[in-house]
Amino acid sequence: MESNNGLSNKFISYYSSLVDKEISLLSFERIFGGASRETYKIRIKDQFNNEEKLILRRTQESSLIETSQSTEYLAYSAYQDTSVPVPLMIDINEDQEILGAPFMLMQQLDGVAASPFTPNVYSPHEQKLGEQFWSILGEIAKKDIADDFINQFDNTEANPCWKKELDKWVGVIREDSISVEPILEAGIRKLYGNAPKESKKKSLVHGDYRNGNFLFLEDRITGILDWEMAHIGEPLEDLAWALSPIWSWQDKEKPAYLIARQEALSIWEKASGLVIDENDLKWWELFACVKGMAIWISAGNEFKTGKNIDPINLFSPWIPGDIHLEIILNILDEDLN
Amino acid sequence: MKPEINIALMNAAQEILSRFSPMIEDEYEQSRLNSWGALILISSMKLNQSYSSLVEENKSILGWLTKTKKIYSKELSDEIDNVVLPEGEDQNVLDELNQSLRRILVKAHVEIDLTDDNESKKGYLKLLRNMHSHRKVSDLIGMLQQADS
Repeated sequence: MESNNGLSNKFISYYSSLVDKEISLLSFERIFGGASRETYKIRIKDQFNNEEKLILRRTQESSLIETSQSTEYLAYSAYQDTSVPVPLMIDINEDQEILGAPFMLMQQLDGVAASPFTPNVYSPHEQKLGEQFWSILGEIAKKDIADDFINQFDNTEANPCWKKELDKWVGVIREDSISVEPILEAGIRKLYGNAPKESKKKSLVHGDYRNGNFLFLEDRITGILDWEMAHIGEPLEDLAWALSPIWSWQDKEKPAYLIARQEALSIWEKASGLVIDENDLKWWELFACVKGMAIWISAGNEFKTGKNIDPINLFSPWIPGDIHLEIILNILDEDLN
Repeated sequence: MKPEINIALMNAAQEILSRFSPMIEDEYEQSRLNSWGALILISSMKLNQSYSSLVEENKSILGWLTKTKKIYSKELSDEIDNVVLPEGEDQNVLDELNQSLRRILVKAHVEIDLTDDNESKKGYLKLLRNMHSHRKVSDLIGMLQQADS
């Protein structure tokens, strides 16, 4: 693996040429936990001592989630200058020669991200952050997909949204599973046997909208990050993913460790202009577990086969994997009783 | 008597977390090392249980399948009858048996789901919950948070 020094030298040379001025490096740090791309926080200054903070996202040879960086770039681009806070995109580059792998560059936003597995982390601002969190998700769902940017996404309609997504993630499970998991199989059968209604409104789905993937500064959300799984689909998919008890495992009454479920749903409905069908939402909540399992199984496979022994690829099947199986069991139990 | 493997792992994890990790200045490398420390700590706590859990799980799956055998198709019922319990205590052999039993269990659930037999459906979920509770490590999530802080 290339050292930070080697990479930072290449970066300075690339960025100086991009902005056509002399710049020097103040810091160049890798951020831990980026599952799909190597992510670096960079501070630079120009000859007039103007400081700039950037984020570099570089494609990894092996990652937890295999995604195209152009998808992520398009999604960020779609929400520039809207009420959905996203960083300003600077460049996307598929050339492997410049920094050793394809990459994209964006401005760094102020704020911090919290682990989705840490309770009370938003205290004492849960209420205000919660209102923004669910409202921004509603805004994402509300965006008109006839928009030029969004039309560039894969928008094939060969299958209903639900089947297209379910087939995709079950495909990952079939390819990467290293053991038979009867709980997961029961969940998959339940989903195929109880299809939801086809979406009336298709939206740009973030694909990983949850606590941990937003930046905040005290009581203000400053950025929505990690759009690499964005796609055109059913808005309830994002809502169900964000509501999943896995993201508030030690305080299930407050999804995403923010505000109560019913209040979250009301805020989302108001912001999106959509009405939630409870049965369909339940389907998407079970789907969220299966999708999560596909991601954790894929990570476990990377680890077990030695392709990528980043500890996140061991943590994923152990902890989130266990939790999602338990949620599937709870849903199946609830349906039977 | 030699120190047990789980004790060795536990001490290694403690050294990583409290002694070596604070020496690292690079935030990324420190977080990565802390994660390893926490995962080794979890491994040390689950190591002793892993073998006995596997033996217990195989026993309970086969026991439940045998008990409910009469409700399945002849083909599945024959498959249950043909399960051979391995001799010896090799963990790999027990793992292979476990995977075979889990495959049969999935087939059994497909057949149960086609019936209106609510008792068997509930019994099936109870078995799955029991299996999961013996295997899961997610109850140690608090330990990971402590290590991270």
